[in-house]
Amino acid sequence: MKNIAIKQLIEKIEGEAELDFTFSNGQIEDVKINFGFYRGIEDILKGKDARDALVITPRVCGICNHAHLIASLRAIEDGYKRARVEVNLSSKAKDIREFTLSCELIQNHIKWLYMTILPQLESYIGQRSEENYAIKASYLSSTITKALAIFAGQWPHSSYAVVGGVSCDPTHLDVIQAQSLVEESIRFFEKVVTGMSFEEYLSIDSIKELPKIQGDLGKLLYLIGSNDMATIGKSHDRFIVFGESPIWVSAKSVGTLRSKVDTRYVKESIQKNTVAKAVEYKKRLYEVGSLSRGMVAKRPIIKSLHKRYKDSILTRIFARVDEVSVLLNICKNLLQNLVLEEPSCTLPLNKMVLNFEGVGIVEAARGSLIHKTKVKNGKIVNYEIITPTQWNLSHGTKEEQGVAIKAMVGAKSIEEATFIFRTFDVCSVCTTQ
Amino acid sequence: MGKPKLLWLQSISCNGNTHSFLNHPELFSILAHFELLYHPVLETNYSLQEVIKRSVPCDVLILEGSFVQEGFLKVGVEVSSTIETYAKKAKYIITAGTCATFGGIFKQKEPDKISGFAFDIEEKTVRYTQYASKLISLPGCPVHPRWLSFVLLMVANGKKIEIDRLHRPVELYGYTTHMGCIRNEYFEWKVDAKNFGLKEGCLFYEQGCQAPFTRGSCNKILWNDTSSKTRVGTPCFGCTESTFPQSSLFFTKTNMGIPAKMPLGVPRRAYLTLTGVTKSFKIKRFSERLLEYNK
Repeated sequence: MKNIAIKQLIEKIEGEAELDFTFSNGQIEDVKINFGFYRGIEDILKGKDARDALVITPRVCGICNHAHLIASLRAIEDGYKRARVEVNLSSKAKDIREFTLSCELIQNHIKWLYMTILPQLESYIGQRSEENYAIKASYLSSTITKALAIFAGQWPHSSYAVVGGVSCDPTHLDVIQAQSLVEESIRFFEKVVTGMSFEEYLSIDSIKELPKIQGDLGKLLYLIGSNDMATIGKSHDRFIVFGESPIWVSAKSVGTLRSKVDTRYVKESIQKNTVAKAVEYKKRLYEVGSLSRGMVAKRPIIKSLHKRYKDSILTRIFARVDEVSVLLNICKNLLQNLVLEEPSCTLPLNKMVLNFEGVGIVEAARGSLIHKTKVKNGKIVNYEIITPTQWNLSHGTKEEQGVAIKAMVGAKSIEEATFIFRTFDVCSVCTTQ
Repeated sequence: MGKPKLLWLQSISCNGNTHSFLNHPELFSILAHFELLYHPVLETNYSLQEVIKRSVPCDVLILEGSFVQEGFLKVGVEVSSTIETYAKKAKYIITAGTCATFGGIFKQKEPDKISGFAFDIEEKTVRYTQYASKLISLPGCPVHPRWLSFVLLMVANGKKIEIDRLHRPVELYGYTTHMGCIRNEYFEWKVDAKNFGLKEGCLFYEQGCQAPFTRGSCNKILWNDTSSKTRVGTPCFGCTESTFPQSSLFFTKTNMGIPAKMPLGVPRRAYLTLTGVTKSFKIKRFSERLLEYNK
């Protein structure tokens, strides 16, 4: 059978992408992923004040703007540190940043579950329910971003995290309101997402217990399982995480080995026929995102799923929804232990470093996000942003196919392949910053 | 007569307006007044491919993102041409966000080519005259969800929206973002914030707050029904203004120690006179902490 090429527009992925599929013998053999328009945020930043990045970079992305804020901030603080100006954050400032960032991740994961995965899966298997999933996404998203806005002023596009701390100085009144919104979100996770108590869900550590899960996640697992989809969408089975946090470990995981990583070995390169750049780590491609975080942190339920299903769509999808529980739990703990008497910002207003280079890393919803800034005489001379989607969606190297491409290879139809593609939660705007 | 048909189209964008509106607590009640034919993330009757290749009906057109005449194609068609096709059909065109209204952040990549749909900063574009009669501007980076729902519901109810010279609804942009700021006693008495992360002090004098000369109702209609930038100690960056984003956003430019830009409509002489008076008093309360723990 001859090779057949088909072009398909994939939409509603924070923008669009064009996929060129090559079929051979009824199976997908290769895919080219093309993104349309380069917006040039990195160029726009040149010549601006170092701190202006805190306002400009969130505008890379409407859905993960907060992660860009924190990455740009960490790049500056790293630069200060390298220039021997210590930025000693109060634990209050650290905890508030961690909290707001976690809220944004929850919003992302829930939108992906209800606005992408469930409706797309139902369409793919031809069993559309009449349910309005988007209303669930909107409810949880507006609830948890409201908790975020108590500290950050607004979502999207806050710039409340400043060099040396945070701009807010919350009261107990603020914390109590945020706690109440987190409780409401946990209740949603119990009643709507999993149909079980939060404590009971958190104790799940092996695939044997998965049948206990009800709710929309239970339905999702059933649909994947009963349609023979649990093992499709496997890729290189290599995972990488760069961001450190109270819940995540920075390392890579290949097979049973976990080893340290260093951003110096991250290489970005220009690709043909697309404005998206590719990234690799020591000439190898790695998956980033919730699945990688779960694998690298050795979260028992993710390891258990992976043992049976490897990096299939089942493991990938479950890892992302499961991460909501981890995030809600940390949100709850952070608020409970927040010490309001501490200072919000420890760096004096006039303390400024004019020449520095720094790297900021953060775990965004879709994986590791890296910002690099170079500042001379207070002005940005170079700025680089490496986004999670660049890892997962690169075309690949001479030696191996890109992560998402490899996952799609072998699919028997375009519908199957595009569903696999969407399990990576593509963010078009981030890829074409 | 069915419901008005609503189309949401994007050009050079970050999707921030889409996600801002998606957070509206009454999102689906508002959308129930319309037939949603296309939206960037919600499920709709038509795909983008159909919107571009075929002709879909359109009564209300929401535009998101900066406008470029040439060089941005979706399924082989210039985005500008798709937008104009539907702009001609629409009875109302709403430019949601600063990018679609004035050019915004993405204009800075290619200032000569990229602009808003009907305005290039504040100059009228070649499209202005043709579409002016149905144009409503909603600048803001992003647009406030309740500002957009206000306009949509006024349209759905067939009510007239009063607008200013830049086509902004006066009920939203007649205010400055300074109005309603919980720090404005400190502004009145010229007490600056000594650092970030403090409840006390005004951000206009050191931290670059643009609220006194920025139009918008962020401190009247709160963000996420909860707060605003200045309420959490972040300066206003003037994101609703045609000049957004300016440079040195965390820094107040001054002339001889006086902010270079005056509050909206306030003559420099009036400002200086008032400053002279307030600075001649030392009010104890404004030098103290607002509240203290473990006293």
